[in-house]
Amino acid sequence: MATVFMKWLETRPGSFERGIKILTLGRIERVRKQIAREFVQPGYNVLDIGCGTGQLTILMAACGAQVTAIDVSGRMLEEAQANIEVTDLVERITLHQLDVTQLGQALEGEKYDLITCSLVLSELRPETRAFTLRTARTLLKPTGRLIIVDEVVPEGLVRRVLYWLVRAPLALLTWLVTRTSTNPLQTLDSLIKDAGLTQTLCEDYLGGSLLLLGVGQTPISVPDQNTLADYPRLEHRVTLKTILLDFASYLFRIIPPYTKVKTGLYRIGNPGLHSAVLVTGNYDLTVRRLVKQIDRKLDCWLVVADSHGINVWCAAGGGHFTAEAVISAMNTCGIDQVVDHHALILPQLCANGVDGWKVRRETGWGVHWGPIRASDIPDYLAAGRKKTEGMRHVRFQLPSRLEMTTVMLVFYGLFAALLGIIFWRPFVWTILALMIVISYIYGAALPWIPGRDGLEKGAALSMLTILGLWTWSFGWERLPPLNLFNWSLGLGFLAFFIGAEFQGMSPQMRGEQSNWIVEGLVGLAVLLLYGAGRVLFGGG
Amino acid sequence: MGIKEILKSELKHARELRYLEINFKPELCQGVWQCYEVCPVGKWQPNYESRKVLLLDEPTCIACGACVLQCPQGAISLEI
Repeated sequence: MATVFMKWLETRPGSFERGIKILTLGRIERVRKQIAREFVQPGYNVLDIGCGTGQLTILMAACGAQVTAIDVSGRMLEEAQANIEVTDLVERITLHQLDVTQLGQALEGEKYDLITCSLVLSELRPETRAFTLRTARTLLKPTGRLIIVDEVVPEGLVRRVLYWLVRAPLALLTWLVTRTSTNPLQTLDSLIKDAGLTQTLCEDYLGGSLLLLGVGQTPISVPDQNTLADYPRLEHRVTLKTILLDFASYLFRIIPPYTKVKTGLYRIGNPGLHSAVLVTGNYDLTVRRLVKQIDRKLDCWLVVADSHGINVWCAAGGGHFTAEAVISAMNTCGIDQVVDHHALILPQLCANGVDGWKVRRETGWGVHWGPIRASDIPDYLAAGRKKTEGMRHVRFQLPSRLEMTTVMLVFYGLFAALLGIIFWRPFVWTILALMIVISYIYGAALPWIPGRDGLEKGAALSMLTILGLWTWSFGWERLPPLNLFNWSLGLGFLAFFIGAEFQGMSPQMRGEQSNWIVEGLVGLAVLLLYGAGRVLFGGG
Repeated sequence: MGIKEILKSELKHARELRYLEINFKPELCQGVWQCYEVCPVGKWQPNYESRKVLLLDEPTCIACGACVLQCPQGAISLEI
């Protein structure tokens, strides 16, 4: 809705910039910075259509590009000239007073790596829009990109109603003052297609009323085949080897050594110049699970950074997956040679260890936090890097809970078996079987077990187990008092231990270390009670 | 540092972790929304009118520290 006021603002270049900032709630400033950061590279030949007071022009020139900027308004260009003169970028910027319809003739023979068209199209008549896009296409290099930022009518009924409610008074006011108005875009898709262009990127702001589109000449531009061969392709395949690997990593997840993937740049599908760039850690299972979710659905680049062979979340939390690891991977993998943008997608769950601002500062790439689950990546990219609420939240649902129960059982089961064989050989199978049953019941019923953390839930599980034991003893097979007492102690502690330890397997890890202290103390108390039981019940 | 001191500091650290809570200084917030972008449990909600993020009153925080690290204004900390 910003552009409806622009006609009026344009008559007074001095206040133009301030007006636009207010009308877009400051968004336009950030969108401009994003364009300069993500799409401009040093040495680029850039054309800025409708430069206004030159804000975007200056930002792009500051990134090392040679910028040609045009605008139809002489007063606007005077303002731009004044803005440029206070910077040291005068040499890098050429200003022309041109109407978009004169573009083709005036700049004939020129070719640009990047053309920007910011808040321009909505001011033009529909036929002029189509003409502008067609002209832009002839001015693009084969690998070049056109970036359109403009006002659109948002999709969805609620958004639309809101939009028109806010826009109507602004439109009326503008019309009264200038007798003109702007037409927010509704049919960009067909316009772009008709001009022989392909949309490769789309982001929206301000409730869907401000749109940033990336448009290229060809659907996929593939770099030199020889260069491509340097970057191995990762594919999702099911072979005996992967089945065995999956099985092993299922069972021995938390037992080192962890299998690592070589760090560096990989291809998924047939990525090109405009394809998305994803980052992940170098744990073998992480990479294979990611590839399984996106192979054959996406063409993208994958940068594998060093996370010490640990999954993304744990590695970031434990200080093993850091901004330095990401920066080092970005600087050495050669990604700059194969894409024409600077937009990096990091896993949301590494945000507790990878300092996004450090990555932005030191690589010059824009950082976007992707979805939590790899399976959401295709939808996330298709929606223009927009996350739904569901994509942002960690869930710990039944399949994950049972999986982590298995992982924990293998680890502690080995311990229990060892202890059992040494101390309680007659009961080793009973103990193991009970441990398995208690663990799976706990894993399945976790959300419904009372208590706010592992210790409280463990205590509840302990009570339930002892209750079960007594029911069995009094209902089916009566145990002698000392035996019942000892089994209660033993199983009670086992259940408490499982409950407390499972917290470390869940997303609610916080304070997990302090569980160990409590577990140790409870263990000591149980040993004392065990001794007391012998005295109370008279030997055994 | 002896083993005793190391053990003591580890115990202290573990105990503290349990009681960490978000301390948010709204006056420093510039509406960058990075906390909202990275929070895995939905504690933050952007308020586009006030340009400041809202800290929701829900007991879901897992003290992962993502919002603390990503806030460019240093408006968020985890404290006991």
